[in-house]
Amino acid sequence: MSTVPSLAAVADPPPRYVDGAAMDYFVIEMVNALRASSAVATARTKKVEQEMIDAGLMPAPAPPPPALKKEQMRESMGSNLSLSSLSKTGREGDEEELRARLEAIGMHVGANMAERLCHDRGLFTDTLDAIKFICKDLWNACWDKQVDNLRTNHRGVYVLQDNAFKPLTRISDPHVIRS
Amino acid sequence: MATTSKQYKAIGEDLWKGRTEKINAELFALTYGALVVQLVQDYEDYAEVNKQLEKMGYNIGTRLIEDFLARSGLGRCADFREVGEVVAKVGFKSFLNITPTVTHGALPPASSPTRSSMPPSQANAPGTSFTLQFDENPLAEFVELPEEALEGGLWFSNVLCGVIRGALEMVQMQVQATFVSDVLRGDETTEIRVTLVKYLEEEMPVGDD
Repeated sequence: MSTVPSLAAVADPPPRYVDGAAMDYFVIEMVNALRASSAVATARTKKVEQEMIDAGLMPAPAPPPPALKKEQMRESMGSNLSLSSLSKTGREGDEEELRARLEAIGMHVGANMAERLCHDRGLFTDTLDAIKFICKDLWNACWDKQVDNLRTNHRGVYVLQDNAFKPLTRISDPHVIRS
Repeated sequence: MATTSKQYKAIGEDLWKGRTEKINAELFALTYGALVVQLVQDYEDYAEVNKQLEKMGYNIGTRLIEDFLARSGLGRCADFREVGEVVAKVGFKSFLNITPTVTHGALPPASSPTRSSMPPSQANAPGTSFTLQFDENPLAEFVELPEEALEGGLWFSNVLCGVIRGALEMVQMQVQATFVSDVLRGDETTEIRVTLVKYLEEEMPVGDD
């Protein structure tokens, strides 16, 4: 066993791995845990809201037309939905809260992974360069493969296609009836 | 012929090498870290977060054990001591690619009689324990706990305790798994103590179809 590790090995350690099945089970249970925690957080916020309404500090909110809200939600996926999702009743609101949390976790993971992968290279020359980084380097680091197909309309819309997206490969289709 | 510690190590190594699907550990660590942050924000109570992490771990553990039994083909452990060996050298190795050091606790004093199935060996008495000491923790790769988390008593990796409890319950052992110390909290070591509460009556055979 060497006593002086080479500097290269220390600066850029070989990637470590954990078992894929363990990760799958973890992610599944993570969704459940977040569903529960978001319900707790929502309940607490609603309680505070109600207290403020009761104390006359806040006007009671008018109920939003449900159909219209739904359409707007679908289109603004990336935005901060917490305020509007609280005014939505029941399951819709809960699902939105959960989705927002999952996306936030994804952003945290993506940002950190990208930061670590980029520490060697210079700035991206343009958007296409950044997208190619995602398709090749980021995808490779996360899932040991690259994006299968990249398309663009050259007007700022890029479509990344992965034919076997690792996180989804082992999830069964709820609509398939098993005989 | 009892399986030796070295043999378990070899089994663990083989299982790890044989796992076809491996995920970048950074991805795992970052996801877990983000989840803990979110739970802290949602519950605003570190004790509750500990509880929820353990519960999540329990659910994971109940599924993980089936996977483990299927892949390893290991039979029932002779005593709780062996359980500790298998958990450390085969369990943790095949899922997280780490091998915590296992130290077996002192045997409890002569146990008072309990009802029904109680194996004769003293090494199986309720109260028997083993301690797992982690030199490395893949969950805590990039983690530094803020002051209030330290004061609040957060056990960052508490999910591991739940996994152990869930997995062992599926093989008829009720245990208590808790953190004793954690380097994230400034302690010298990271240790989990697993204590046998009791053996459970077999209601349904594990892995039967």
